[in-house]
Amino acid sequence: MKKPAAKKLTSLLGRSASAGVSLFFLVIIVVPILWVFVSSIKSGYEITSFPWALPKTPQWVNFNHAWSEAGIGHAFLNSLVVTLATLAILLPVGAMSAYILARYPFRGSSLIFGTFLGGMMFPNFLVIVPLFFLLRTLHILDTKVGLTVVYVAYSLSFTVFVLTGFFQTLPGELSEAAMIDGAGHSTTFWKVMLPLAKPGLIVVGIFNAIGLWNEYSLALVLVPSEANRTLPLGIANLTMTQQYQSDWGALFAGLVIVMLPVVVVYSIFREKINQTMLAGAVKG
Amino acid sequence: MTKGEPLPAKPRVTARAKKKGDRDRTLFIVSFLSPAVLLYAVFVLWPLFQAFAFSMYRWRGVSAHRKFVGMENFSKLAHDQAFAKAVTNNLELLIVGGFVVLVVSVALAHAMQGTGKMAKALRSVILLPQMVSLVVVATLWMFIFNPNFGLLTSGMKAVGLGKFVHTWLAEPQTALPSVGIAFAWYAIGFYALLFSTAIRSLPEEVGEAAALDGATGFRRFWRVTWPMLWSVKRIAVVHLTITVMNVFALVFLMTSGGPDRATEVLLTYLYENAFVNSQFGYATAIAIANFALVMVLSLIILAFFRRDPQEPRRVRA
Repeated sequence: MKKPAAKKLTSLLGRSASAGVSLFFLVIIVVPILWVFVSSIKSGYEITSFPWALPKTPQWVNFNHAWSEAGIGHAFLNSLVVTLATLAILLPVGAMSAYILARYPFRGSSLIFGTFLGGMMFPNFLVIVPLFFLLRTLHILDTKVGLTVVYVAYSLSFTVFVLTGFFQTLPGELSEAAMIDGAGHSTTFWKVMLPLAKPGLIVVGIFNAIGLWNEYSLALVLVPSEANRTLPLGIANLTMTQQYQSDWGALFAGLVIVMLPVVVVYSIFREKINQTMLAGAVKG
Repeated sequence: MTKGEPLPAKPRVTARAKKKGDRDRTLFIVSFLSPAVLLYAVFVLWPLFQAFAFSMYRWRGVSAHRKFVGMENFSKLAHDQAFAKAVTNNLELLIVGGFVVLVVSVALAHAMQGTGKMAKALRSVILLPQMVSLVVVATLWMFIFNPNFGLLTSGMKAVGLGKFVHTWLAEPQTALPSVGIAFAWYAIGFYALLFSTAIRSLPEEVGEAAALDGATGFRRFWRVTWPMLWSVKRIAVVHLTITVMNVFALVFLMTSGGPDRATEVLLTYLYENAFVNSQFGYATAIAIANFALVMVLSLIILAFFRRDPQEPRRVRA
């Protein structure tokens, strides 16, 4: 019987082939990202002359240049304000409506849920023109308030979808017990159910925070002026303006500033983020 | 609502209490639901509704000069060379790029199944390109493709392929494929994760049965695993279609649609019409056309993947 040996060989081949594929893609994914990190501490001359080499001495000064002279610090603060403000409105508003949709069925509630769900796969850039004029009419175009409100509205679909699922899985006895003890609907929500939903809120919050921190297209149209510019816009501007073309080091430092927080957060909450992302795609 | 028989005594009070309870419930529902519904209605649904109206106006952004033109914008689109170019580019990215993304992500998903260190490491970084901002992705790939000091160029020169070097993003023939590669790098992780999760959730007996029948490696994958992924394939293809047809930031940042519209896509053309040329009605017509196109494509895909390929076999057995 030659078969077992042959089988062993093919399985060995298969395993080393898949290890080879893994290694190949590992390199393709990781090397460009590492290259950004390494380039952020190289001088402009080193970046253009020896793109593959390590720096002779780390140029931490690149970060100073990016932060203050290139205005990335200001954009960083704008992004922080908009992201946190969006979450501060989005999470309670989203949780309240998700709670109703999960536990207080009424005529039309599934229609409302369906309407929220429909927004999940809808590319928001398709309505950018009406949205631009809506904000202009409301006098919140080119303001952080306007961008925040838009971010809340366009994050609702996904947030409501995930949190509704979460509230459905919480045991009903707990809210019933609270109601029997004389707590009203609203007290039951704030004191009993919302604290139980904390893990769900954290995941949704982190997931949204990453998307908002990185968001470029809406911000490009809705906050044109430099004063309100968010971080991705600041970096894009840095790439395009001629005056900084000599200071490549500062540009790469800027790229690190925008991606480092996300990389750190992602590596901590990886499994949860992956699951959440897939859940959204499968249902949407 | 409440279980059991209502008490025979004091039926009036019970009815009144019930009525009050109902009112409380209604009030609670309205107050908790309305902030989200209002925000969603005003900033998502209303602009969506308006988009259909806008597409039938000729309008340069000053309210006094808004003029209803019916279908004129759409008939203009039908004869617009740049629009045709954008649609073609989008479809090319979808068909060629989409095919590459699907094949590579399935291979990756397969490689991610392993228990080795390599597979584990791969699993932990697979979504990283999708987590960093598109601005980072665009800038990074502009540096890879830079003809003077780019990673690709210097790498090719180092291994003696210097004569094949192009100014990748500046030549009409190479610009779209280059942008497509950057897009694939960004997008593949998500689909790999999708397929990988689906493969892992397949019942184990199937794999064992296939192994007993002597199906191994690629054959086993092609004959056994792949057909069982039908519902995930459908999700992946529809998702990919929507994503590719609406690609914007990456193209806008890398080439702005150039050179000579070689990388123009629907949404960069929309942006140009709206926010460079102030042709707001025309730009919105592009959005509606895109929306309709994606709908048609999705319906075709859904019809194509409608049936569970396992179903007839099971019936026969």
